[in-house]
Amino acid sequence: MTFQELILTLEKFWADRGCLLVQPYDSEVGAGTFNPSTFLRAIGPEPWNVAYVEPSRRPTDGRYGDNPNRLQQFHQYQVILKPAPLNIQELYLDSLRALGTDPLQHDIRFIEDDWESPTLGAWGLGWQVWLDGLEISQFTYFQQCGGVDCKPISGELTYGLERIAMYLQDVDNVYDLEWNKGVRYGDIWKRSEWEWSTYNFERADVELHQQFFDAYEAQCTRLLSLSDKRGKGGVLVYEREPLDRLVLPAYDCVIKCSHYFNVLDARGAISVTERQRFIGRVRHIARATAESWLAQREALGFPLLRDPSAPADASSAAASSPSDL
Amino acid sequence: MPRELLIEVGLEELPASFLAQALSSLRSAAEELFTSARLTPESIETLGSPRRLALRVRGLPDRQPDRQETVQGPPWAAAFDDAGKPKNGALGFAKKQGVEVDALVAVETERGKYVAANVFEPGRDAAEVLPELLAGLCARITFPKSMRWGEGTFAFGRPVHWLVGLFGTEVVPFEFAGLVAGRTTRGHRFLAPQTFDLADATDYEPKLAEAHVIVDMAQKKQRMHDALVAAATQHGGVLSPDDFLLQECTSLVEEPFVVPGTIAEQFLELPDAVIVSVMRDHQRYFAVRRPDGSLLPTYLNVVNTALAPEVIAKGNDRVLRARLADAQFFVREDRKTPLASRLTRLDNVTFQTKLGSVGDKIRRIDALARALAPAAGVAVEQASQAALLCKMDLDTLIVFEFPELQGLMGRHYALAEGLPAEVADAIADHYKPTGASDEPAPTALASVVAVADRADTLVGCFGIGLVPTGSADPFALRRATLSLVRTAVDGAIDVSITELLAAAYDGFPAGILGPRDEVLAQLDEFVRARLRAFYRERFPGDVVDACVAAWPGASIRDVAARISAVDAFRERPEYEALAVAFKRAHNITREIPRGEVKDALLEAGPERELAEAWRGARARIAAATASGQYQDALAVVATDLRGPIDRYFDSVFVMVEDEALRQNRLSLLAEIADTVSQVAHFHALST
Repeated sequence: MTFQELILTLEKFWADRGCLLVQPYDSEVGAGTFNPSTFLRAIGPEPWNVAYVEPSRRPTDGRYGDNPNRLQQFHQYQVILKPAPLNIQELYLDSLRALGTDPLQHDIRFIEDDWESPTLGAWGLGWQVWLDGLEISQFTYFQQCGGVDCKPISGELTYGLERIAMYLQDVDNVYDLEWNKGVRYGDIWKRSEWEWSTYNFERADVELHQQFFDAYEAQCTRLLSLSDKRGKGGVLVYEREPLDRLVLPAYDCVIKCSHYFNVLDARGAISVTERQRFIGRVRHIARATAESWLAQREALGFPLLRDPSAPADASSAAASSPSDL
Repeated sequence: MPRELLIEVGLEELPASFLAQALSSLRSAAEELFTSARLTPESIETLGSPRRLALRVRGLPDRQPDRQETVQGPPWAAAFDDAGKPKNGALGFAKKQGVEVDALVAVETERGKYVAANVFEPGRDAAEVLPELLAGLCARITFPKSMRWGEGTFAFGRPVHWLVGLFGTEVVPFEFAGLVAGRTTRGHRFLAPQTFDLADATDYEPKLAEAHVIVDMAQKKQRMHDALVAAATQHGGVLSPDDFLLQECTSLVEEPFVVPGTIAEQFLELPDAVIVSVMRDHQRYFAVRRPDGSLLPTYLNVVNTALAPEVIAKGNDRVLRARLADAQFFVREDRKTPLASRLTRLDNVTFQTKLGSVGDKIRRIDALARALAPAAGVAVEQASQAALLCKMDLDTLIVFEFPELQGLMGRHYALAEGLPAEVADAIADHYKPTGASDEPAPTALASVVAVADRADTLVGCFGIGLVPTGSADPFALRRATLSLVRTAVDGAIDVSITELLAAAYDGFPAGILGPRDEVLAQLDEFVRARLRAFYRERFPGDVVDACVAAWPGASIRDVAARISAVDAFRERPEYEALAVAFKRAHNITREIPRGEVKDALLEAGPERELAEAWRGARARIAAATASGQYQDALAVVATDLRGPIDRYFDSVFVMVEDEALRQNRLSLLAEIADTVSQVAHFHALST
């Protein structure tokens, strides 16, 4: 199975189970979780079932294309089922069967792995899924996003596409993977890995990235009309009503800040003491964005909840027309 | 025959570390709830696997006994008026207890006359009581962390999928987490995926075993262990024991299978400890060793499904290759930077905010180690070399990845750099003893570094107020002190603690730590408390206390010598009488000023006899004490003083009217008391 066949199989599998197929986000993200289709949609009461590929950047994991297993950009396949159906583990195992992996011919185990994103103020409980000792997926029940309690609970399935493909194609080096018949992973990405590793570790302009960080943080605060003041019990104060806040552009600023932080980190420009402060700053605007999103959806009457007669299965979200959003 | 009760909570894979806590909370809640429901069973057992928590109750009565009880109500005056007419207090109480107002009786208590009701509650059938009881029981299961799922209404360790409640053959339909208990359960996720019914509670264990689930955790662990040992033997080796891994793997599978795999040859150049850490921390594989202790190129993997062992082994081999390739990359990278050149990098790593960087700490350890070296018989230059290198591996990639390899990797890199073997060993050994079961560092060189390191941490932390409290000891200062004690008592060098801590204090830049005298006094007290705690496990408490109190606070070995001498002295026939006499002497002389004993004032008979015996013994006792020969000192005390002091107290009255005479007698006794008190505070011993 080629890399692109792997993607196509998963797309087909989850589309058949009622998921919306959306596309990767057009900004630098560290994981599929950052895509607004996960981070924002996991908040609030509206059902949401979605699947997409997410090219994910981890600047510190770069190895200049020398390491057979580590990349500064890799591909996740991300599935969100909200609320997580009770048979979510079975659905996941069925997706492995669709990839030609018979659980009886392997050792598949669900090993505890709780997930936390300190920058997003998000955490969940779940597992890493082992296929013959190889971690092929992350499986998480979101408990909080941007500091907001999730209810209902989303189930997040994240497939590590390169790892799964290496397993299926029986290769030891990621660059030897067949993207399709004829073009290898290395043909497409090897030079990219070298350039980005060099950029992230050596060339990225530290001062410029610090300015980017500050600027996007300030922009985010303005877009949300977030006040410097705090209310009782530390609650955040906004100067505008929820529908007057530009939540989606604000969330892009959160993504940018998180990414520039990662680059500065790879560049060795963040000391141990500064680190916590940077993380706290991103978390703060992530929280404001999450709260604003929830308030805005509420002000809109939670559009995806609108038709109570629709069956509460995965197809209800897919049935909603764009004008409802 | 009483019926067996079985409940099972079926769930998604529970974390291995949750299982033990969940089962023990289930058990203790069950003991409490069954007893308070007057349904005390003969036995309660918990059973479990990653996908189920179960409880088996045997000898449960079919019915509660009746309850006859007198329940006290409000004061009589609040319940009835003077005419004996019931007021609201009586009416309400009677109603609440379910009795007629006429049936209320009076009871006399310490606080006066009260209303009471004789309440009779007939016992109910267990089957009737159980649903509510079991629902409450499930709610009392605890986890290190709980989660919500689906609509987010319930919280538990992992999502709950099914409930079984069987009392004999009868279903107990208790409700929990939105589910109702029945008789339907599930087997192994992959090997027996169909649901099936249990006819009787007693079917649980055998039927689950048929469905590839071993619910008895102890049995599963044993079976797994046997399979591991057999596989290790088959590969010509011995299973490397690992209790953590055994426990963890028992909680990770429903039925244990062992699949051996191969460690690729190109990685065998890595130190064994690195390979074991990679296998254990990342993959939970067991290591297999040759009889000589070296690693065999085989690992043992405990899996949950093993229909295609060769496929599973192949997959795991690949994962291990990638992991070991990472480790090998780290080791190769690390080798490019000599240990000695890492000091400036460690200047940027914080040891403790106020106490400076790891680099600062290394320099302080160095200074202390140089100071300690001569007395320990270690060359100063060598002590300094070991001290300067002892923490350098904290800067390496491999130790960043596997913190438990600190010291071991330092040794490995030092040897690879061609540094002297004893210096390399000292890098690894200066962390010893790592715990109560570990031996102290074997060489004087390693011990000097170990002692310097501990002293620096102790003084630094106390100096900035990070003093351990009852339960909190984040810098492990108790353990650090114990390590100092063990290094001296069971290890290669003695430690003169007062001097050591004072030198450590002086190693810090001025102004960082609190006032010198205060910090050192506080530490003196702390060290004495640790010494007492340490020795109380080996010797009677009063002996330990008496010796630690007499100890001037220098050599730690000196405390041990005192304690064993006094402990032996207690076995002598003279002990009892002498201890009583010393206690008397101490008590009557405690408050008085010390003076010269005037020969002219000594009365003939027992007084003069004691004074002469004392004069003969005194120098020998003092000399033996001064040279730490406490056994000898006490032997002199026993042979020379026992008789005279007995006779003295039998016939001499000390507190005579004549002041000069009295003072002279007290002076003699004070001399004796003070001298023996230098060995141990005999007056603190129980007699």
